[in-house]
Amino acid sequence: MSFLTPLFLLGGLAVVGPILYHLIRRTTRERTIFSSLMFLLPSPPRISKRHRLEHILLLILRCAALALLALGFARPFFKQVPLDDPTSTQPKRTVLLIDLSASMRRDGAWPAARERAEAVLRRAGPTDHVAIFTFERQTAPLLSFEDWNRAAPTERVPLALSRLQTISPGWGGTHLGNALIMAAEALAESETKGVDGRPVRAVDGPREIVLVSDLQAGSRLDTLQAYEWPKGVTLLVEAVKAKLPTNAGLQLVADAADAPRGADAVVRVRVTNAPDSKREEFKVGWSRGAAAAEYAGAPIPAYVPPGQSRVFSVPVPKEGATAAQIALTGDDEVFDNTIFVIPPVQQRAGVLWLGADTEDDVKQPLFFLRKVFMDTPRLAVKVVARAANSPVPPTDFAAASVIFVGEPLPPATIAEVRNQVQAGKVAVVVPRNAAAGDTLARLLGADGVRLTDAQPSTYAMLSEIDFRHPLFAPFADPRFSDFTKIHVWRYRKLDPAAVPNARVVAKFDSGDPAVVEVPLGKGRVFVLTSGWQPEDSQLAVSSKFVPLMWSFLEMSGSVAPVVTQYYVGDNVPLPAEAGSTAVKAPDGTSAALATGAAEFAATRQPGIYEFTGAKPQRFAVNLDANESRTAPLDPDELQDLGVPVAKVAAAPTETRENKALLQGLEAENRQKLWRWFIVATLAVLLVESALAGWTARRATLRTEEATI
Amino acid sequence: MIAAASNPTLSSAALIDPQALMTIRSLELRARAVVEGFWSGLHRSPYHGFSVEFTEYRQYSTGDDPRYLDWRVFARSDRYFIKKYEDETNLRCHLLVDQSRSMDYGTRAYTKAHYAATLAATFAYFLHLQGDAIGLLTFDEEVRDYLPARHRPGHLRQLMLALEAPTRGRGTDLNAPIERISALIRKRGLVMMISDFLAPIDRLERNLVAVTAGGHEVVIFQVLDPAELEFALDKPALFEDAESQRTIYIDPAAARAAYLKKFKAHCEALAAMCRKLGVTYHQISSGQPLEFALFAFLQQRMKRGRQVRRARGAIGGVS
Repeated sequence: MSFLTPLFLLGGLAVVGPILYHLIRRTTRERTIFSSLMFLLPSPPRISKRHRLEHILLLILRCAALALLALGFARPFFKQVPLDDPTSTQPKRTVLLIDLSASMRRDGAWPAARERAEAVLRRAGPTDHVAIFTFERQTAPLLSFEDWNRAAPTERVPLALSRLQTISPGWGGTHLGNALIMAAEALAESETKGVDGRPVRAVDGPREIVLVSDLQAGSRLDTLQAYEWPKGVTLLVEAVKAKLPTNAGLQLVADAADAPRGADAVVRVRVTNAPDSKREEFKVGWSRGAAAAEYAGAPIPAYVPPGQSRVFSVPVPKEGATAAQIALTGDDEVFDNTIFVIPPVQQRAGVLWLGADTEDDVKQPLFFLRKVFMDTPRLAVKVVARAANSPVPPTDFAAASVIFVGEPLPPATIAEVRNQVQAGKVAVVVPRNAAAGDTLARLLGADGVRLTDAQPSTYAMLSEIDFRHPLFAPFADPRFSDFTKIHVWRYRKLDPAAVPNARVVAKFDSGDPAVVEVPLGKGRVFVLTSGWQPEDSQLAVSSKFVPLMWSFLEMSGSVAPVVTQYYVGDNVPLPAEAGSTAVKAPDGTSAALATGAAEFAATRQPGIYEFTGAKPQRFAVNLDANESRTAPLDPDELQDLGVPVAKVAAAPTETRENKALLQGLEAENRQKLWRWFIVATLAVLLVESALAGWTARRATLRTEEATI
Repeated sequence: MIAAASNPTLSSAALIDPQALMTIRSLELRARAVVEGFWSGLHRSPYHGFSVEFTEYRQYSTGDDPRYLDWRVFARSDRYFIKKYEDETNLRCHLLVDQSRSMDYGTRAYTKAHYAATLAATFAYFLHLQGDAIGLLTFDEEVRDYLPARHRPGHLRQLMLALEAPTRGRGTDLNAPIERISALIRKRGLVMMISDFLAPIDRLERNLVAVTAGGHEVVIFQVLDPAELEFALDKPALFEDAESQRTIYIDPAAARAAYLKKFKAHCEALAAMCRKLGVTYHQISSGQPLEFALFAFLQQRMKRGRQVRRARGAIGGVS
């Protein structure tokens, strides 16, 4: 017999008490009346052999009661060879959720995580159901319940361990909320497929998610807010820690519209220092290569106290420098110390004006058109004006995205414009008088089109504007939708019914169309029945004019913004220009693009990617900025979101003593011998009470008889 | 203790065994048996003629009655002496008998209280026969009964009834009866105190001084049970005080030496006090025949009478 708490056996020493008591007990029942006790002193009690012999049975009972009590408290159990009884414990359904986000690349985090995961797998019983999910931005099953069930019971844990060897942290963000939901859903499923493909009912035992993660503060949990956590699924957090706490991260900040350009251009970066960092002085600068310290030029010092973030302006290297990454030095972790920057490429767009206007005439439309298209960092628009009656060079047509037609054109030019429109460009016809009707009819290919001059008695206003049309969509907000301040003095009447497929986008208050859209091939033709020049209307001096003109440009499709900055895991749309056949990854590998693919999804690591093909295009993929928030997350936040978090289990240390102790604990729990000892104690005490009572009564009777 | 060996005049054949005596139910009969037995034994005694009368002289002082001048002394010494005639009245004797619970102890067939009552009755009867006036005062922690000293028919009977009263009280106050008697009696007389004296005697001396200073003759009889004298008890037990009912565990074998030491010290202190004050002290075991006590009393009285007579003779010699 062994004891779980053998120290309680010392309580058995209490049997000395009754023994002494029996040895020194006095004959208190015999009383002698004496005349006076003034000469007597109490005699000390003395050991009486005769007395001990008389009550030996009582003494034995009392000692036995104390000894049994001490034995009971010592939690006795019989050692036995532990049997592998598969039914002894209730099978458990576990999803092991392993964090593979970039923050797990920190020093010491991944080995610790793998160790925890392996420990969890080794703890799994043969009847348990285990699945392994990995997550970063996306959650993916590494070992499903089906795989687990399909394997032989003895092969399951080795299989899981071998799968575990194949994974390592990636570069993605930590979308913990999504991962938890997916794991909980997997646990909530009632059936899984068994070895032979037949459905196997899920076990009824406890269901838990074991999360092995660094549980960084940058984990995204927002999706959990709208999720009702299934009942009976608990979360056990096996949090791992990096060896070094100091970590600062870099993040690219969007350029301001008025950012200096040219030689004074800067790139703004935000440096975020983790709250548990030990250092606060770092360096930021353009880097040449893989080594972060290879700064191109002098880095700028960055002082960021722990838990704060600061924005620094890093001057763009001079012309000719090839640096495309900004690096930070001074912290312990390097995984988030580099950001890749593709400087925005200024796109070029052309606007062709076909008319007889002179450039300096402030009363002509061209004057205002030139003022509209100012260069921006991302777009440079070149306005080319050509006389309507002279031939227009084909290059002008090729460079133009939008063709404004202000005058009647010769037939050849009209045909060219029509060709361009049908190829996908936008033509805007602004007839200055009814004479342009023929040109319009030819352009649209509708002979019935006639224009007539109209002059309202006072002025006309735009009404019935279709704000759902892309042209007017920027003005859809009620704050910007008031066009009544634009007075129109003159316009040309156009019968839209005469134009096939014509759509009236806006009308005058007289009911005549103001803006008519006519699709033509891949492109479209807009007809503005009133010009913006002061002679026709007040549109040119209105705040609506510039956005409206830019809308024409945008509708041509040639000025779609080219995004060059992405995060790991983002889907990158393929460039509009056909011809991209493959993508060159930062590590030099090249992945062919599938035919007809619209997006490139394999942005698995940060760096500069390049679409190769007819028109190469580079884009930068960076780390999720939240990955730099490496301070540990309080598990109570998960609890607040309704996730029942169980206590963190201590890492089991498989020492021999612990094992023996656990076995003893288990055996004692099963046998529960202490209950029988307590029952025996109570029985002995009952007998003792009865015997003591009987002895006392007998002694009393004897005394009474002696008195009589 | 009164020793039989010291009383050669009392033959053991004439003595009555107390145990046998106590079987007589009537206290008066018991007293009579003792006294009459005593007389019969005494006739064989060489001692005879004694009296309790008393005489004294004192120098004449102005104001004294000239009738009491002793002219014979004046003729011899040429000095005036007043002759105080012998008291014509009989002796006034007061018996102070302890009736506390401690007296209710006895290892024999009778208790100390029985023995003390018999002793008191014996004295009362004896003195009554002589024509002396006998009074009685019983006490425990306070004074219980008091009968003034008288000599008349029926008084002895009353006295016997008072003596037969059962023991009472939860303590013994030795001072209260003495204080009371010294306050009550003015005429000189005999005060006999019968008790076990198992109580503190600190204040007893002061009170006895007051009595002896009043001219009273005081005789003390300390009645004790043989068990108290020897403490020959065998087994340990819870001993309960007869008066206070306090109980303590006593192993006689272990406690005997200390008890005897303290007990003897107590008795010796009492005897020393009596010697100091001229009080006659007798310690009697309740196992002893009562005649011893009576004889010791009379013997002591006779000695005292001789001393007085010698003193008187000396005075007479002077005159």
